[in-house]
Amino acid sequence: MAETELVKITIDDKQIEVPKGMNLVEAAASTGTFIPHYCYHPDLSIAGNCRMCQIEIEGRPKLEIACNTMVQDGMVIRTHHTSKLVEDAQAATLEFILINHPLDCTVCDQSGHCKLQDYHYKYNAQPSRFEEDKVNKVKAQPLGPHVILDGERCIMCTRCIRFCDEVAETSELGMLNRGDKSVITVGEGQQLDNPLSGSVVDLCPVGALTHRDWRFNSRIWYTRETESICTGCSTGCNVKVAVRDNQVVQVKARYNEFVNKEWMCDEGRYGFHRFIPENRLLSPVLKGSQCSIEQALAEAKKLSAQNLYIFISPDLTLEEMTLVKKFIDSKFSEATPVVAYRKRELSELEAKLISPNFAANIMGAEAAGLVNGNAQQNYEDALAALRSGKAESVLFIGERSLFAEDRTDELLASVSKVGLSIGILADADSSLVRALSVVFPERVIAEKSGLMINQIKRLQYLDRLLDFPVGTESAWRILDRISAELGAKLTAAKNDRDFTLEFFASHENFQHTTIQDVKGQGIALDGSGETDSDKREVYSPFLTALGKY
Amino acid sequence: MSEHLQILLKDIKEPDLHTLEGYEKRGGYQTIRKVLQMDPLKVIEEVKASGLRGRGGAGFPTGLKWSFVPRDTGKPVYLLMNSDESEPGTFKDRVLLEKNPHLCIEGMLIAAWALQSNWSCNYIRGEYAYPYERFNNAVKEAYEKGYLGDGVFGSSFKHDMVTHRGAGAYICGEETGLIESLEGKKGQPRLKPPYPAVVGVYGCPTVVNNTETLATLPWIMQHGGSEYAAIGTEKSTGTKLFSASGHINKPGVYEVELGYPILDFIKNECGGILDGKELKCIIPGGSSVPVLKADELEGVNLDYESIQAAGSMLGSGGFIVMDETTDMVEVALNLAHFYAHESCGQCTPCREGGHWIEKIFKRIAFGQGTERDMDLIKDLCKQIGGHTICPFGDALITPALSCMKKYPDEFKIKIERALNGNPVKATDLHYTF
Repeated sequence: MAETELVKITIDDKQIEVPKGMNLVEAAASTGTFIPHYCYHPDLSIAGNCRMCQIEIEGRPKLEIACNTMVQDGMVIRTHHTSKLVEDAQAATLEFILINHPLDCTVCDQSGHCKLQDYHYKYNAQPSRFEEDKVNKVKAQPLGPHVILDGERCIMCTRCIRFCDEVAETSELGMLNRGDKSVITVGEGQQLDNPLSGSVVDLCPVGALTHRDWRFNSRIWYTRETESICTGCSTGCNVKVAVRDNQVVQVKARYNEFVNKEWMCDEGRYGFHRFIPENRLLSPVLKGSQCSIEQALAEAKKLSAQNLYIFISPDLTLEEMTLVKKFIDSKFSEATPVVAYRKRELSELEAKLISPNFAANIMGAEAAGLVNGNAQQNYEDALAALRSGKAESVLFIGERSLFAEDRTDELLASVSKVGLSIGILADADSSLVRALSVVFPERVIAEKSGLMINQIKRLQYLDRLLDFPVGTESAWRILDRISAELGAKLTAAKNDRDFTLEFFASHENFQHTTIQDVKGQGIALDGSGETDSDKREVYSPFLTALGKY
Repeated sequence: MSEHLQILLKDIKEPDLHTLEGYEKRGGYQTIRKVLQMDPLKVIEEVKASGLRGRGGAGFPTGLKWSFVPRDTGKPVYLLMNSDESEPGTFKDRVLLEKNPHLCIEGMLIAAWALQSNWSCNYIRGEYAYPYERFNNAVKEAYEKGYLGDGVFGSSFKHDMVTHRGAGAYICGEETGLIESLEGKKGQPRLKPPYPAVVGVYGCPTVVNNTETLATLPWIMQHGGSEYAAIGTEKSTGTKLFSASGHINKPGVYEVELGYPILDFIKNECGGILDGKELKCIIPGGSSVPVLKADELEGVNLDYESIQAAGSMLGSGGFIVMDETTDMVEVALNLAHFYAHESCGQCTPCREGGHWIEKIFKRIAFGQGTERDMDLIKDLCKQIGGHTICPFGDALITPALSCMKKYPDEFKIKIERALNGNPVKATDLHYTF
């Protein structure tokens, strides 16, 4: 990183040095002083309209807004901690915002994670002096297929407008009317239906914008929020998922400066359920009928390496990929491993955030050494081998190891003709289940934890969101049991967490890494974006296989 | 009236002045020919020497404003004439646009030469349909004569001028609001810094000047800056248009030398108070400046410093006179209603606070006020003033605060009547909106 010039400023009598050109919200944050704000967002332009971040600067006649004031050498700043003026101005701003707010917290989805509530308790906490009639605005107005507006709750911070103007560059949203009748609206004849539209709900600091899918679903305090990553594509957007009674209540983008800022695509957000089949496979299946795990394993033991095709789901975790590689190396080195992979065409707008690799961990597969040459070509070749009857046995690891569009009757007929066909699958209704000799019930991605490598080579942690149904096992565990039957136990781990730790311990580069390191913002394997240049040295040997995508 | 030097209103009553022929017949478009031979920087020096201050309200020295424009950015410099005259009580620019549009065009050309700007725009208030038509016709005439376009007056200087009509928002008179509106966006002021002199229309350096300011330039360049500086007082040089309205016998637009006593202005130009009533108070510079009571007017002159010393501002010269029958609660309510209606809705204190204040005034006026209402308004005003993106917040609170400060009894009487069970009836009010 290039050295930037530092300037000395004083915030609340504390002297600090910050890089030139930084705004005061960020500068204060670097000393641990939080300046409250609504309209300011680090990745959007400065609007300066909420007036929440006012601060006092010595020598200036008026209060200034911190978000639009850049640090200057020798600046002396007072925040609400030391300035009565600022404290009063912030309390007044909150009083102003709340006079026309419906105060319907009791039925509001945002309640409990609402900036208006939080700030009011912290910076005002006074009863309102407003005795007049409130202004009525639009309620429950659909802005598009995914987002619904409550005009009365809106505080006109214009984050959503700026998101559509600057990030999505689709400009569907605008402000209508003047004064206290101002309201956010879509352009005439338009809809807020860009591929990133759900992000405006995350950006909304209050409950004005809500997800159509999840309105009135649950109070947030009844949910458990887990920080994980989206596995829709290889971008690996950081998410925070709220779960109640083992049901996803809401998916929020989680800020990651390097990966997704605070944006997320609608497909990933609302399509979360596509990885969770409605009807789950709960016990092993032997030739179309349920059986015990022992019976299934006894059948699976007959697997031979000759003309064996191993289809691997690109959604497996890095540890699982490594285990698959071990599995192949121990007994089946003649087998052909194939990662299900097909590049997708994206529109210009989708390409801003979505990766053409609709394969969450294709980089992990690459790193584990499961991809030889062109992944897509390999996949097509393997499908051809199935059709031609060249494959003598086949192993499907993961529900997505064979894409839904490839499960044609013709292909499934060829699969059923293969001598021994084993699947580790999740969907009981899938036609594939009936075509295979042995099927093991696997856990879906939301029920697993582990490591993923995204397309910019960032190692991220996938956390378990949902409880798994009894009878299912992680793919790695089933594979290990099959291998153990054949006399080669591959891992001593008992659960996903142990498995991850074992992975760290067994790789020299990760000796000092903990799960905590990978959580949060993840680790850049190629050292990009990190200030600690040592990391580049540590992880680079691991990366030799990466770089084609 | 006749004893005042008439710079802007000279020949204003001639019926053909608005035509190019009529304007040239009276010596028009001679100064610009001379100016085009001058060094642009010399023009700026001359305007600085004249001491001309912006006539739109803020009174910022014009020459100084021009000198902030960076000249080596490689970007075009844009000149905007601010004819979005929307301040209640102000209607001086309208006279110029309607009766003497070519004077405005000549002034714009002089400023354009000084700034080396090849494109200028006159932003005219949406409601000014007739002035728009007159000005637009004048621009057409000038184009036909070759006074605008490629090679102005046969020189190599190229200058294009367009006329743009606003859509009826007060806030578009604020220079950055005007720029936003001109760019086709919602008229909402921008955050400053950066200032328009550096980042203006489409990110290019831009100068926004009031119509009257620019219309003064031909005289200054003809007679020299020092001669202009000799008129008026030391710091408030030249003449200024005042649009007098209210309870007076002769409402209208008058040009007087700055430094002219206010009481003389009311007596001579305005023709005294209507129906021989007593003067109660005036608003000297458009609705957003504090009111001055009759007893505060003794010895106060119409110039920037004197009015400021008396506790108000010269502003845009919207001179509103009120007689003894005026109900100050209704004045406060009327103005609060205007500002609440015109708030652009961008930043919180003005968007919410403006309406709140209006609602409280309305309550007081309708006899439903309570004792703490006045303190509440004062407190709200304190939190709006200086806490907004543009000066609208200050404009909003000034009439409210000054009416309450200068006539507290009128408010108290209404509140007390309400508390004693004898409220004002709605039919007692002149209030209609």
